[in-house]
Amino acid sequence: MIPELGHFALVLALALGLVQAIGPLAGAHYRDAALMRMADSTALMQFVFVALSFAALTVCYVTSDFSVANVYENSHSTMPLIYKYTSVWGNHEGSMLLWVLILALFGAAVAAFGGNLPATLKANVLAVQSWIACAFYVFILLTSNPFLRIAEAPLEGRDLNPILQDIGLAIHPPLLYLGYVGFSISFSFAVAALIEGRIDAAWARWVRPWTLAAWMFLTVGISMGSYWAYYELGWGGFWFWDPVENSSLMPWLAGTALLHSAVVMEKRNALKIWTVLLAILAFSLSLLGTFLVRSGVLTSVHTFATDPSRGVFILAILVFFIGGALALFAWRAPLLKQGGLFAPVSREGALVFNNLFLTTACLTVFVGTLYPLALESVTGEKISVGPPFFNLTFAPLFIPLLFAMPFGPLLAWKRGDVLGVAERLMAAFAVGIVAIAVTFVIKGGQSVLAPFGIGLGVYVIGGALIDLVERTGLFRLPLATVRSRAAGLPRSVWGTAVAHIGIAMSLIGIVAQVWADERIVSLKPQETVSIAGYTLSFDRLTQRTGSNFREQVAKFTVRNSGGTVVGTMDPSKRTFPARATTTTEASLLTRGTSQLYLSLGDANDDGSIAVRLYHKPLVLLIWLGSVVMMLGGGLSLSDRRLRVGAPKPAKKAATKPALQPAE
Amino acid sequence: MTLWFVFALMTAAAMFAVLWPLSRRGPDDGGSDVAVYRDQLDEIGRDRAAGLIGVAEAEAAYVEVSRRLIAAADAAETAMAGRIEPPVWRRRAAVVVAFLLLPAGATALYLTIGSPQLPGERLASRERVAQNSSIANLVTQAEAHLERNPGDARGYEVLAPIYLRMGRFADAANARRRILAISGETAERQTDLGEALTAANNGIVTDEAKAAFERALVLDAEDVRARFFTGIAAEQDGQRDRAAAIWRGMLEKAPPGAPWIQTIQQSMARIGVTPPVAATPPVAAAPGPSADDVKASAEMSEADRDQMIRGMVARLADRLKENSDDIEGWQRLLRAYMVMGERDKATAAAADARRAFASDPDKLRRIDGAIKSMGIDG
Amino acid sequence: MTRKQRRLILIGSSVGVLAIAAALVLGALRDSIVFFNSPTDIVEKQTAPGTRMRIGGLVKAGSVERGENLRVSFAVTDGNHDIPVRYVGIVPDLFREGQGVVAEGKLEAGGTFVADMVLAKHDENYMPREVVDALKKSGRWQEGEAGNVAK
Repeated sequence: MIPELGHFALVLALALGLVQAIGPLAGAHYRDAALMRMADSTALMQFVFVALSFAALTVCYVTSDFSVANVYENSHSTMPLIYKYTSVWGNHEGSMLLWVLILALFGAAVAAFGGNLPATLKANVLAVQSWIACAFYVFILLTSNPFLRIAEAPLEGRDLNPILQDIGLAIHPPLLYLGYVGFSISFSFAVAALIEGRIDAAWARWVRPWTLAAWMFLTVGISMGSYWAYYELGWGGFWFWDPVENSSLMPWLAGTALLHSAVVMEKRNALKIWTVLLAILAFSLSLLGTFLVRSGVLTSVHTFATDPSRGVFILAILVFFIGGALALFAWRAPLLKQGGLFAPVSREGALVFNNLFLTTACLTVFVGTLYPLALESVTGEKISVGPPFFNLTFAPLFIPLLFAMPFGPLLAWKRGDVLGVAERLMAAFAVGIVAIAVTFVIKGGQSVLAPFGIGLGVYVIGGALIDLVERTGLFRLPLATVRSRAAGLPRSVWGTAVAHIGIAMSLIGIVAQVWADERIVSLKPQETVSIAGYTLSFDRLTQRTGSNFREQVAKFTVRNSGGTVVGTMDPSKRTFPARATTTTEASLLTRGTSQLYLSLGDANDDGSIAVRLYHKPLVLLIWLGSVVMMLGGGLSLSDRRLRVGAPKPAKKAATKPALQPAE
Repeated sequence: MTLWFVFALMTAAAMFAVLWPLSRRGPDDGGSDVAVYRDQLDEIGRDRAAGLIGVAEAEAAYVEVSRRLIAAADAAETAMAGRIEPPVWRRRAAVVVAFLLLPAGATALYLTIGSPQLPGERLASRERVAQNSSIANLVTQAEAHLERNPGDARGYEVLAPIYLRMGRFADAANARRRILAISGETAERQTDLGEALTAANNGIVTDEAKAAFERALVLDAEDVRARFFTGIAAEQDGQRDRAAAIWRGMLEKAPPGAPWIQTIQQSMARIGVTPPVAATPPVAAAPGPSADDVKASAEMSEADRDQMIRGMVARLADRLKENSDDIEGWQRLLRAYMVMGERDKATAAAADARRAFASDPDKLRRIDGAIKSMGIDG
Repeated sequence: MTRKQRRLILIGSSVGVLAIAAALVLGALRDSIVFFNSPTDIVEKQTAPGTRMRIGGLVKAGSVERGENLRVSFAVTDGNHDIPVRYVGIVPDLFREGQGVVAEGKLEAGGTFVADMVLAKHDENYMPREVVDALKKSGRWQEGEAGNVAK
């Protein structure tokens, strides 16, 4: 009964979705309050049904109900319980169900927490959101239905792929999806604004929290995916510029640009058309990513050829929504009223600079990702565009962006004073230069550019701190005043500073990998290998038997230069006899933010074993930086101003004495 | 029945979500942009008081936001003034949709794609009826057992021939490898591995398979199957003379009435060598007991092998009947018939293939070439 | 400054940045892309030694030899031609004889391919796309195996 309940719930979600796609739209057009109100209840109920559907599929996985074809194909009764949960979305059908679950979740969130939105805007936003949801419900029900049944239930499921039994792999897709799909709300806001033909500063404030939430999830999702690749793939790389990664990076770049341009729009009522376009683009790139990953165009042309219906269907969705939104944009955008004026040198100017570089960087990633596909379909020639391409294009665009970053928050709106700001940033320049010098002294000249990268990161952190110091009056004013000013400072100012510090941390972590050390050696027991001041001695090789695998574990003792034992490492190689599959489990030893990374190669006949050893200086900063970025986003999201607009609190705020800080 | 009852409840909930907002009266109670601009004005005041912006800047910003505020308030007022009580028919239409279209549409769609007649079958409730399960399920049980006890060679020995019969050749080869690893090598085990590998590669003796057969012959120079397959390997490598020599050698030493003599004669005929008339070799040439052993094992697996190949070919032929556009499939089928010595079937299949590609000159040319190269057309 | 002048500055700088980006992209495309070849392509095209490229195919059965200091040599085949490959380092877990492989590196004058990167299958169901295509071209790919790749 459970699988059929899930199936029916999904069908009902589609039916409700269709009502929601049409009713509120008509309601907003004719200003019929009852039809507009329909959006809220249907959005919430739609979410309930999709959640029910997802829960039903989860129950099927957990109870190993192999009468469901999807469960039979992707699960196994002896799989550890945690992986029974995660394999719900570890396959195509289940992951699409997760996709619509998140889509419906965001719709329901707007219905529940969007009390500050004007009724017509809210109705239109939810209607557009429902259009997207319906397209994907139909896609799932017709081409990727996870609830198809097998009449004679097989006794055992088919899949027990050891590679997929990994917690990192299991957790990052939902986070990525929260980000990817979260941009659908920005998209719906943009299309709703175009439908209404009215867009102004308030819109930017309304769209901001949703964009921010999606951006936070995407940031952390990308970073978790990168960490997974780092420790699981066994050779210490953290970013490969492969198309799947790129298709998550592109929406991130566009979304970051959107966050910044929305600020200009909110404060100065300018860049309206551009902001709307970015909101459309961010989600379009998410859809493109879904298409690239889900159609199989990337991993294998073959998949696409054998089951064209899925790829063609997603392509149709892609063309309909992106094409439709852009057509609407071309038609309506000229009708939007012109925005405010500003000088090139000003906070607005700085944010335009940011947008220019972020979107251009996004464009280079786009070209690098799609050029091979385009070339192959035109000439049949196969090429691979690898890291060198992106290092040559992406990096040069990010350097000016990062350099200009501390200027932005310090520049005044409307008309700024670059020299004045540069003067205020003197301290940041100074610590940056000191950092360059120190790096040169410590590391020598083996890489000329890298110390400048470190200096750039330190300077960005310095700039963010200066901004906070100036605003709170630290070192200038009595401590009590500083405290009250710090408390009165809008949270988004803190958020900006923290997020900028985060990206600088990631930058330092990435640049520091220039000094990563690598040893690939063949070792016999009792032999040692040294790296970056640590000495690892290979103690012994032991065998271990796990639930469904045998494991060769190499025990290493790690000593520092003083000869003190600082830890042990035990990388292993697992063999799954039933599948004739081998996996490598790397071992990591964290020292501060640096790591030693050890993974095993093949054992030789003479009892020696090949090992791959890396010292990765400051490597954890890469991911810590992204967590800090997310914290910055969270601070910004908690800014009370984002919630303003709801009738009741706003009235209260209006009657308050204007000078009182609200929080 | 419970199922339909729950479906009805769910549908009712969905209808409620549509109808409830229609039942309430009153104007929209959403927020408005006026509140946002009021707050922006407050903020300018706060910033000014905190000394974050200068007096002149605050003044300018105040004017700018006030202008927006006035515009927004004006717009809101016009909207209020222009409001008319919406006509009732729209709500009625929505009610009709909720009452009729929503349940009808959902039920219709569900009935076409759902399977309401199938009960859920959680694993726990099915384990009791496992006794009368099919071969596939028995195999799965055996696999689960082996996953827990990877050192059980006997389990693999039971599974390997079943895998072959089920067409899971790669699994069969893996099982044979495991047996070798666990129980050590014998000529027979190496030959079994080679055979599985050959089957996994559509009858082509790969280098790995050949190595297995050669290893088997090192262990027991008289292993019939290994010798036969080294002959096949030689044939596939284009060394017909070598193949003929190997097989001739086998026939010379063959015990009288050995069931594989005929197979070898067919193979020799295939490569265009006249097989020597089965001379009766002196029985003494093969030591008594081991000759029986060889015979028994050869007999059994020969039958297995034959059955397996025939099953494979029949499946391929069936598939081509449904999907006749698969040119590689046709080539494989033709090759298989020739290898099996079924010239009639090959000729018939060649005609079928030509018909299938009659409308596609490019593929027709390719299939013609293949047919000629196999010598089917004589 | 008038609205028009400001807009000109904005447009001008956008065009400037885009032009720089375009120059970077074109330069990088010329220098850093890597062509993919099957062994047959290499033999037939008479590829010049020293060019950086990827080759893909199956690891020829029986061709893998492991030497001192993690030296590995093997041959990549597409059924029609073989290309010998040398590599120093640890090969991936799923690198096996008879399985798909992609190697990136340079062709030496003697026709040996010196790889600095070897990629094997990501998991047991996945075969690198280039390998599938290369095998299909050489007729070694059987449609019946499609299921293994589709996952």
